Amino acid sequence: MPGRVEQRLAERGIILPPAMKAMANYVPYTVTGAHVWVAGQGPFLDGKLHHNGRLGEDLTIDQGKACARIVGLNVLAQVKAACGGDLDRVVRCVKLGGFVNATPDFTKHHEVINGCSELMIEVFGERGKHARFAVGAPILPMGTSVEIDGVFEIEA
Amino acid sequence: MPGKIEARLKELGIVLPTPSVPQANYVPWVVSKGLVFIAGQIPMQDGKPQFVGKVGREVSIEQGQQAARLCALNILAHLKNACGGDLDKVVRCAKVGAFVNCVPEFSDQPKVVNGASDLLVSVLGDAGRHARFAVGAPGLPFGVAVEIDAVFEIK
Repeated sequence: MPGRVEQRLAERGIILPPAMKAMANYVPYTVTGAHVWVAGQGPFLDGKLHHNGRLGEDLTIDQGKACARIVGLNVLAQVKAACGGDLDRVVRCVKLGGFVNATPDFTKHHEVINGCSELMIEVFGERGKHARFAVGAPILPMGTSVEIDGVFEIEA
Repeated sequence: MPGKIEARLKELGIVLPTPSVPQANYVPWVVSKGLVFIAGQIPMQDGKPQFVGKVGREVSIEQGQQAARLCALNILAHLKNACGGDLDKVVRCAKVGAFVNCVPEFSDQPKVVNGASDLLVSVLGDAGRHARFAVGAPGLPFGVAVEIDAVFEIK
């Protein structure tokens, strides 16, 4: 019988990508007691990066938001792996840290990261409501436009 | 009888700002297993972002410190709400994450962020001592000079 969260994903036609392996000498997530710490994720889908570029230069806010949503899918894929495959173990999304590759004049980082914040609420409802930061970065690994890390609380 | 921290705020002549309401689909703080995660705060006063500009250009180090101090006051305002109105519930400030909107040549981010760290220690005493990072960012929401988040342990 599919879990509650899996059903919600199915209802919304959301398919999580496979959890990405870490790209260097670290791990994609750690679990400390009841907290899952997810490493910064990029916008991987179908084996490639999406929406590379810079906000305020060659990407619109809508493209940035779409990118943040894909990053969110990757965050969820890691949380699912940390929960042994069962997203019903998620008590809540605690916090997201959002970095937006943007020009110095760009001031709407918060709108871009909304692409990920909204996904958390879509998937977890009230338990998706999180604290966050949204800041600019002068460049991000592999030229991506958005990178997001996260902290989640899970049941033992 | 006012709490210890309220008395300290009064001694210092500090009035906490009215906590801001998030501009999007997230919350200003989350309590999880005895930890309070406060969302990134910008230097807000009376509902308006203050200290707009880049440190090392329009904003001086002193103004950056004031901006950081205002971020910390907003952090304390939210922390107070998270503690049900009682700041004596705070065990300690665990960690502060600080971003300084600055020109690429500027490297005195720690001096700027001291505006926040010093405020936390003066209000909370030893319980205000925290780990932190203080980095530069090419831009911040609304073009403000500083954005700071924090994690506290509470009873």
